[in-house]
Amino acid sequence: MPRIRPGWIALALAAVVFVAAGLSRISFNVEILKLLPTHLPQVEGLSLFLKHFAQPTELIITLEAADSDTAEAAADTLAAQLGKETSLVKRAVARPPWEKRPADLSELLAFLLINQPPEKVKELAARLSPEKTAATLQDTLEKLTNSVSPQEVALLSYDPFDLAGTLATSGLMSGAQQSEFSSADGTFRVIYVEAAQPFPNYKSNIAWLKEIRRVAASAGLPAGVKLGYTGEPAFVADISGSMEWDMKSSGLVTLLVIALIFWLCYRRLRPLRDLQAMLVLIFLVTLSAAGLFLSQLTVIGVGCAAIMIGLSVDYGYFVYQRSLGHQGTVRELQKQCVQNIAWTAGSTAAVFFALNLSSLPGLSQLGSLVGIGVLVGAVVMLTLFAPLTVRFHHPESLRPPSFIERCFASPRFLRNGAWATAALVAVLLGALVVKGPPADDFSPRTLRPRVSEAYSALNQLQARLIDDRDLLSLVVAGKSEDEVLARLRATEARLAAAKERGEVRSYRTALPLWPVAQNQDTNLAALRLLAAELPRLKQAVLDAGFKEEAFALTEGILKQWAAWADTPVPIWPTNETSRWIFRRVASRDGGKLLAVGMVQPVAGHEDTVAATIHGDGVWLVSWNELGHELRRVIPAEFHRVIIALAVAFLLIVSLAFRNVKAVVLFVSTTALVLLCLIGAMSLLGMTWSFFNLAALLLLLGTGTDYSILLLLALLRNGGSAPAAQRELGLVICLCVSSASAGFGTISWANHAGLAQLGATCALGLVIDGLISLFLLPRVWELFQPRRQRSEVGDQKSEPASTGNLASGL
Amino acid sequence: MRLLFLLLLPILAGTAAAAEPLDLTPIKKWIARQDDFHNVQADFTQTRALRALRSPVVTPGHLTFATPNSLRWELGDPAKTIVIRKGDTYLLIQPAKKKAEHISAGNIGQEGGAKGFAMMEFPLATDFAEFQKKFEILAVTTEGDRCHLEVLPRDAQARKFLSALKIDFDTKTGHMIAFEMATRDGSSMRNEFTNVRVNQKIDRRAFEFDLTGYEVTDAKN
Repeated sequence: MPRIRPGWIALALAAVVFVAAGLSRISFNVEILKLLPTHLPQVEGLSLFLKHFAQPTELIITLEAADSDTAEAAADTLAAQLGKETSLVKRAVARPPWEKRPADLSELLAFLLINQPPEKVKELAARLSPEKTAATLQDTLEKLTNSVSPQEVALLSYDPFDLAGTLATSGLMSGAQQSEFSSADGTFRVIYVEAAQPFPNYKSNIAWLKEIRRVAASAGLPAGVKLGYTGEPAFVADISGSMEWDMKSSGLVTLLVIALIFWLCYRRLRPLRDLQAMLVLIFLVTLSAAGLFLSQLTVIGVGCAAIMIGLSVDYGYFVYQRSLGHQGTVRELQKQCVQNIAWTAGSTAAVFFALNLSSLPGLSQLGSLVGIGVLVGAVVMLTLFAPLTVRFHHPESLRPPSFIERCFASPRFLRNGAWATAALVAVLLGALVVKGPPADDFSPRTLRPRVSEAYSALNQLQARLIDDRDLLSLVVAGKSEDEVLARLRATEARLAAAKERGEVRSYRTALPLWPVAQNQDTNLAALRLLAAELPRLKQAVLDAGFKEEAFALTEGILKQWAAWADTPVPIWPTNETSRWIFRRVASRDGGKLLAVGMVQPVAGHEDTVAATIHGDGVWLVSWNELGHELRRVIPAEFHRVIIALAVAFLLIVSLAFRNVKAVVLFVSTTALVLLCLIGAMSLLGMTWSFFNLAALLLLLGTGTDYSILLLLALLRNGGSAPAAQRELGLVICLCVSSASAGFGTISWANHAGLAQLGATCALGLVIDGLISLFLLPRVWELFQPRRQRSEVGDQKSEPASTGNLASGL
Repeated sequence: MRLLFLLLLPILAGTAAAAEPLDLTPIKKWIARQDDFHNVQADFTQTRALRALRSPVVTPGHLTFATPNSLRWELGDPAKTIVIRKGDTYLLIQPAKKKAEHISAGNIGQEGGAKGFAMMEFPLATDFAEFQKKFEILAVTTEGDRCHLEVLPRDAQARKFLSALKIDFDTKTGHMIAFEMATRDGSSMRNEFTNVRVNQKIDRRAFEFDLTGYEVTDAKN
């Protein structure tokens, strides 16, 4: 048994520890906004909104039934059942919290009243003075007797001093007609379920949601009741679950396709097994590096597995191909391969690393991951795979040429291939001329999963409950209550002006609910005195003919004022009901305060309003506006990056070829490939999104290898197209197949953008491979001088065999 | 005000279950009978038994109705609240305060009867099909010539604060005897009609009102 060097053992152990440590740290970041440039106002505002107001542990269960009574009863049953599972659920709320504890509203009302302008509180205090109390109560009794509004009667019954009247005149209570628990017809209801514990990772999130579904299924709900699950935990479970699946499935299928192709060409099991092992190792090492050095894997980053495998295998093919005719030592084989692999891997990695020039963090991550993977792949193939190929080397003469090699040795095949490719090019260019370029789609749709139960439930919730899809969310941030207050006031003024101009239909900010420290300070001093008169006021109410329960709310408010008498301002309400109401309106988190409101712009004025309102600490955001902003910014940025890369590439190939004709043909081929790709996209009804634009970048780095190889081979062999095609046909076929398999498998990813990127790249690589292999050599020959052409044609073409295949890589 | 109302009102569970099939014949006949009434005048006594008050509040009033949709509803003597409907508009008048408010009839439906105009809707429906569309029938009992009907509006907003609408009518004459709104907190507003006169000459000026000197506003939607 050969002795294994201690160095190798140590290296193997280190690799195991590295992989274990890295993989254990892998986590998914399902936030769509993490894919986008953070300097964009819409991204900034939406990120703040989601970070502070999207409740990470609050699941929203939607419930639909045929009639309102069934829906109400089912919602109550389900909430009760979930509430019993205390290990899973902290609370499940199917009705407003104040329905069970109306007294809790005293605190909120007390807060709203101390926030009022001091003159209003003065009026209130005057109404409740000893001289005017009786008249105030008499006025209330008159209203109770004569009002035709049952609502007014009900309110005044429990608010005999009409404290809420002060708020009504301030406009606080106007407009809110919608419920966050039930649709207008009562057949659609919502239950808010808060998890008992925060989720340490996405797997615990998925497990928790599974348990919630189990409890809901066993709750005994009536037949016909439909449930949906949305909210942050559902999004995380949905998206991270599909991310994990996409990564595993695409990587696995790519490995299988590569294995199939390798087998078809070489019919050798042991090197195939070794090659697959190397690819798995490359993937694990790269993913571990990601786990250790990158914070989290985004939905785009998960596509790296298949892409990495599809690209790294090229170096394996090359090393194996070289080894078939190699008679020397491992070191000599490695020396033969290193320069070419280094050049190819380096240029490919450079293109992927160049994605870091993009301001899209998601693409930058993909670029970094694949770049690392390609370099790791090159090193692994040279250092580990090369020795294995030599160890299990078979003499070349024993292997008959494969089917692909026989094809490329046939002039007829090459001729037919050229005609077929020319016909394809004609069709694609024709499609581009007739149909025009593809339409663009920079909407947020491409940022989301294609299939997601959580998004379906959210869409239904928006349609049935609060349709805020045409609304813009107003986010106002600041370091202190006063700073936010000043910004809210300024924003309200701008919104009022916009409404005057006919740009805004309606708006609501958090201003009525935001603490006004100055008012609170002034008002509490006066209201503390009023609170001390609780016994007198209570007796007056009883004397006027009210029962004691009619005074409960007023008593609660007075006691709250007394309790706050020595509390420093600004004061926030803190009981459970108040926290429930405020959680969607205000956030105080880690030194940052935020307030949220809504604006309904007039159709067609969304961009104008957003631009008008946006300012220091103020954002007006929506997913639709994000799409508009991306459409404005991203294409221009990509154009800059693509042009910079193209120029860099031009310099590199000029140095490599040192031949004007070769450079011109390279540029022409690349341009033709891109035009055909655009024509194919148009023909297939694909659209431009910034993921397709990123695909163009990737194609620059990966697909151009094929034309470069052909041109180098042509320069080397004096311009013989058939010879170059025989030399490179098999290798390019293998490379195109594996790379397009790698990209192609992510075209079925659940993430819409990632799927677009995969489909576009796979299409582009196949077109590039065909044009480079079949058309480019023919065109080269056309530009050959006659004398050179006949000299080349006199050279005998030898049957294709692995021994004579000198890969130009 | 509406939001605060919804916040504050404790919702008592109320379920309406009718285990046995109800005899709806009296209701159908009664509704059909309304077609014969071209105008109606009646006095009423309104009793508001509010849970928060120790004693109920009793107020006299007067109702005048003429087809197709003219209505005058006066509460108090002298009138403290007057509601006049002409066509698609309600005018809510408070003579003591010299204030009046225009309200569109279309918005009444949106408010789910929140303005309490269900009390004075006359007739409640033009036919039985419309009646069933607007109301869920909870109970029907007949004693002699008096039929007692309990219904609940199908409107989800109205159902939030109403536990039932109770209607008593004379099966012989078709006249309404009493109309009561019961709310979920246990309060009720009941109108008992007396001196009912049908198809008699009416002074059309009853549906007019001189708003000189009044502060007139339009209700916010």
